[in-house]
Amino acid sequence: MGSVSLEGVSKSFGAIKVIHGADLDIQDGEFVVFVGPSGCGKSTLLRMIAGLESISHGSLRIGDRLVTDVEPGDRGISMVFQSYALYPHMDVTENLSFGLRMNGNKAADTSERVRGAASVLQLDSLLARLPKQLSGGQRQRVAIGRSIVRKPQVFLFDEPLSNLDAELRVQMRVEIARLHHELGATMIYVTHDQTEAMTLADRIVVLRAGHIEQVGTPLALYTDPDNQFVAGFIGSPRMNFLTGEARGHVDGRQAVVLSGQGDAVVEVALSQPLPSGTPVSLGLRPEHAQVGSPGPGTFTTTIDVVEYLGATSYLYSGTTTKEPLIVARQGVHTDRAGDQVVVGVPPDKAILFAADGTRLR
Amino acid sequence: MKSRSRTVLLRSLALHAVIVPLALLWLLPIWMMIVFASMEDSAIFSAEVQLWPGDRFIENFHELQAELDFVRTIVVSVVVAVIYTAASVVLTSMAGWALARYRFHGRGLVVSIILGTMTLPYFVVVIPQFIMVARDFGLSNTWIALIVPPLFNSLGVLFMRQAFTMMPADLFDAARIDGVSEWQIFRHVALPLARPMLAALSIILFLHSWNNYLWPLLISNDRSMMTAPVALGSLFGLLDVSWGGVMVGSVLLTAPMLVVFIFMQRFFMAGITAGAVK
Amino acid sequence: MRQRTQTAYGFLSPYLLIFAIFWLWPIIHSFYLSFLSTRRQPWSFNPGMTWGRLTQDPAFYNALWNTLKILAIQVPVMLTLATLLAVLLNSTLLRARGLIRFAFFAPVVIGEAAYAAVFRLMFNDEFGIVNKTLEGIGLDAVSWFSNPTAAMSLIIIAVTWRWVGYNAIIILSGLQSIPQDVYEAATLDRVSPRQQFLYITLPLLKPVIVFCLVLSVIGSMQLFAEPYLITNLGGPGGATETLGLYLYKQAFLNLNFGYASAIAYTIAALAVSISILNLWLGRERS
Ligand SMILES: Nc1ncnc2c1ncn2[C@@H]1O[C@H](COP(=O)(O)OP(=O)(O)OP(=O)(O)O)[C@@H](O)[C@H]1O
Ligand SMILES: [Mg+2]
Repeated sequence: MGSVSLEGVSKSFGAIKVIHGADLDIQDGEFVVFVGPSGCGKSTLLRMIAGLESISHGSLRIGDRLVTDVEPGDRGISMVFQSYALYPHMDVTENLSFGLRMNGNKAADTSERVRGAASVLQLDSLLARLPKQLSGGQRQRVAIGRSIVRKPQVFLFDEPLSNLDAELRVQMRVEIARLHHELGATMIYVTHDQTEAMTLADRIVVLRAGHIEQVGTPLALYTDPDNQFVAGFIGSPRMNFLTGEARGHVDGRQAVVLSGQGDAVVEVALSQPLPSGTPVSLGLRPEHAQVGSPGPGTFTTTIDVVEYLGATSYLYSGTTTKEPLIVARQGVHTDRAGDQVVVGVPPDKAILFAADGTRLR
Repeated sequence: MKSRSRTVLLRSLALHAVIVPLALLWLLPIWMMIVFASMEDSAIFSAEVQLWPGDRFIENFHELQAELDFVRTIVVSVVVAVIYTAASVVLTSMAGWALARYRFHGRGLVVSIILGTMTLPYFVVVIPQFIMVARDFGLSNTWIALIVPPLFNSLGVLFMRQAFTMMPADLFDAARIDGVSEWQIFRHVALPLARPMLAALSIILFLHSWNNYLWPLLISNDRSMMTAPVALGSLFGLLDVSWGGVMVGSVLLTAPMLVVFIFMQRFFMAGITAGAVK
Repeated sequence: MRQRTQTAYGFLSPYLLIFAIFWLWPIIHSFYLSFLSTRRQPWSFNPGMTWGRLTQDPAFYNALWNTLKILAIQVPVMLTLATLLAVLLNSTLLRARGLIRFAFFAPVVIGEAAYAAVFRLMFNDEFGIVNKTLEGIGLDAVSWFSNPTAAMSLIIIAVTWRWVGYNAIIILSGLQSIPQDVYEAATLDRVSPRQQFLYITLPLLKPVIVFCLVLSVIGSMQLFAEPYLITNLGGPGGATETLGLYLYKQAFLNLNFGYASAIAYTIAALAVSISILNLWLGRERS
């Protein structure tokens, strides 16, 4: 019913192509998050689903209906904007009911729906206020309320929380998760925020320059990225990439010489052997790097900066070189800038990428 | 510190020594309008300079009223200006909305037409306009002739386009998602939000119509359908005319506009500078 | 934004309809008319009676010359005054701002008929306050309505009085859009206020001033009501007859529409070429 399916959807603004043939199937009731660097086309794709941007090529289905050329209001979707887009000259009740009133919905049903949405979002005491008399969080709730009133099959969100302060953001995030649970509707959500993406999503769609790079559960993207871009984009702080060169391959393990780290040799699980001398990039998440004592598969580096965050600390080294390295360290420790530490690479956590960024499995 | 405030004071004094007398000079014609309007003609044309209003305003008004039914011409001017303003606001805000908020074929052409007519002297159109309205349609001395031909104006469209462009696009997109039609978006979202701009535009358009001289002069020469400025101007060439009465007419034409100007200065300025912001 | 051609033309159609009937058609029609001899019925194709006549009509050359004179004197004087006025009004030193604004901006709302009347009386040769004042300070009275040069000056004074505030408003808005921190930075760099005006304010104001210039040129080219109302249809003896007034006489007093149309197109061509010249002179460095 609330499924969404894109088939070869592309978008051009004049001569500039911003979405390149996107294929995507979203299940009914699924929570899907679009992430990607600024300008990669997240909003454009979302607005094409909404019908606010026309689809240059390809087709779009919502439920079992082909809606490629259907007006936004007839697609059974609703949308929450980053700017909230509340009508400044209408109070909360009027904001919530505007669409229904304009479409000749029965007054009784309209006020019923407004009351319903207001109580779900605790807006009851604010109904007579104008948007400018509301706090940011309250405005956000009205914007969400306005989309609930339509009883859509699909909710679209374009960075809905990015104008809120950190604390409210967490609060509203939980609220949105609760709504998703209660309404059971499909939700498509654009965000820049890793935590939002990881916590809310059933599946994450990673976009780059108008291409879908990978679609998968948050855990799959984190543990098993398809390419170096996704690996670098998911996870914070971002994954370290160490330059290396393939050597021998024994027992399903590929030996790699880390040329940037004093030619330390590490062995990484890999089914297909690489010809000796192949340049590779070794991906290692900061939280997987282990500080320990010298031995095979370790290298020594000098700490430039230490960030203490409490339970975790981040050690930065090589900040001025082409190969910066971040190591996450749990618990209390005494490492300081200028200290030398020994970093170990756990063979089953490191992953390899070819020179063109594709994943080597 | 002390010397600094001293130079500032001196500079300020010098500034005021120039600007205040100049301002008074600029006010003189308005002041003299009132003075003349309340004096007997013999006092206007006397060897002495009179700088203070007299007490003959009412008598002068009666003389003006006797020379031409001035009240009637004021009524004509008001009716024309009100209808013209209302109609022009509707036309130009609709057009401005389309140019601000839609991408469509021929948009560039429409914009260049509007900009182009801004630099085109009115004389290029006034002759055929006159031939068409007066001779072909036989509409001299009618409301339609006074109101409709001047309706095309580029400033209003550019002003409203600017107003609508500055509104956040998300607002209209949100309404589209809500299934609201384009006309309803214009009527119930865009127009209410543009209220201050509409006020500014209305003032400018009203003023434009109120002071319009050439077109009413051509198209409406019958006493019963003359606008007030044309009626007033028709007295200038006469030999035996009450100039005190003429000045009463000037005051009656000017005073309402000055009041509007004083109380709605902000809107007024916004209307005038509209063209300057492209 | 989706392409919505139909919707857009729906909104545009009433406006474009008025444009088509009352502007587009007349523009074409008057071009056509400018080739017709319209002295007597039936009208006939005879450009010699319009464009041909134009080239050897002393009255036309007189009107053209008068118009250019007004343009060359009145526009620079007015724009200089307007710029100074705008700068003064923008200055933090100014007191009595309300009075000054009212004094210079109020004429903008006053119609031609109303102010023409008061100017006629104030400049009356014998009894006007202007000549009385001149005599009072020991100067000769000026024959404002019978001396050609004086009559021309009167028109220039009147137009300047009426329009200087209008231009000052536009320039003032331009001034106010210049960010204040530019001046703060300049002050810290020990740039004097005069230098700030010359090297910061004026260059940044240039587009606005050029805009005013174009408007004023077009306005002056169309000057009609002032010589019609103040100097009795361009008197004395045609000394203040402008192109606009001459066109009015040809079209609506002589009913010679063809010839008047040729004059109209001449005015348009002049206005457009002078505007383009202005825009070209004021173009942004790129
Ligand atoms: N109306 C338009 N005309 C031309 N190009 C556009 C238009 N709208 C967007 N673009 C371009 O399309 C690309 C994608 O824009 P989009 O807004 O979808 O990015 P985004 O991923 O949402 O970025 P952000 O994270 O900054 O919001 C950008 O390069 C943008 O410049
Ligand atoms: Mg975006």
